Amino acid sequence: QPPFLLVSSIQLHTFTGCAVREFTFIAKKPGCRGLRVKTDACWGRCETWEKPVLDPPYIEAHHRLCTYNKTRYVSVKLPGCRAHVNPIFTFPVAISCECSMCSTENTECETF
Amino acid sequence: YEALGPGCHLHPFNVTIKSDRRGTCRGTFVVHACVGYCESSAFPSKYSVLLASNFKHNITSVSQCCTISKMQKVKVRLQCGGSRREDIEIFTAKSCQCDMCRLSRY
Repeated sequence: QPPFLLVSSIQLHTFTGCAVREFTFIAKKPGCRGLRVKTDACWGRCETWEKPVLDPPYIEAHHRLCTYNKTRYVSVKLPGCRAHVNPIFTFPVAISCECSMCSTENTECETF
Repeated sequence: YEALGPGCHLHPFNVTIKSDRRGTCRGTFVVHACVGYCESSAFPSKYSVLLASNFKHNITSVSQCCTISKMQKVKVRLQCGGSRREDIEIFTAKSCQCDMCRLSRY
């Protein structure tokens, strides 16, 4: 099983691999107030490479990123919702993380 | 590949080329790839992302990957049968950086 990272750890600078890491965000939706939520998400550095090859497109890539492997879902009730607004906000919690492809099934894949 | 730290680095590897025009030209050369560990993370999506994806994308992933930022052509000589030779050009990586991942295969 991948390790759980200690947030204050200096070793974050040198860490390689993909691990569950605590993450805080504001759960929000229109018509409710935000709620600060602490959860387990994924963070790390995955091994990736590109090498030149003889045939087009002349580069072969092995690109993986640190993302959720096993996931469970948690629902919270947002405060101060207007009468007609469903106050429930559901979000994923990482049980384990792994280096893998970005799946557009359930993931917004951003790269920069 | 050998174990490396964070970052994206030049890494030599052997490439063997066989030219099949008349069968027997070949050569082994050292060229460079880019190999390394770049940062990525995945976390719960914002409401705007959920809405835009019809509530399918409940995870947002932000990533960088090790990429070749500069390629260079190098001329190499293949040995054919007897004293015959054939010159060809192949690519090698000249510099590397953590940059956009190729997310082409979903």
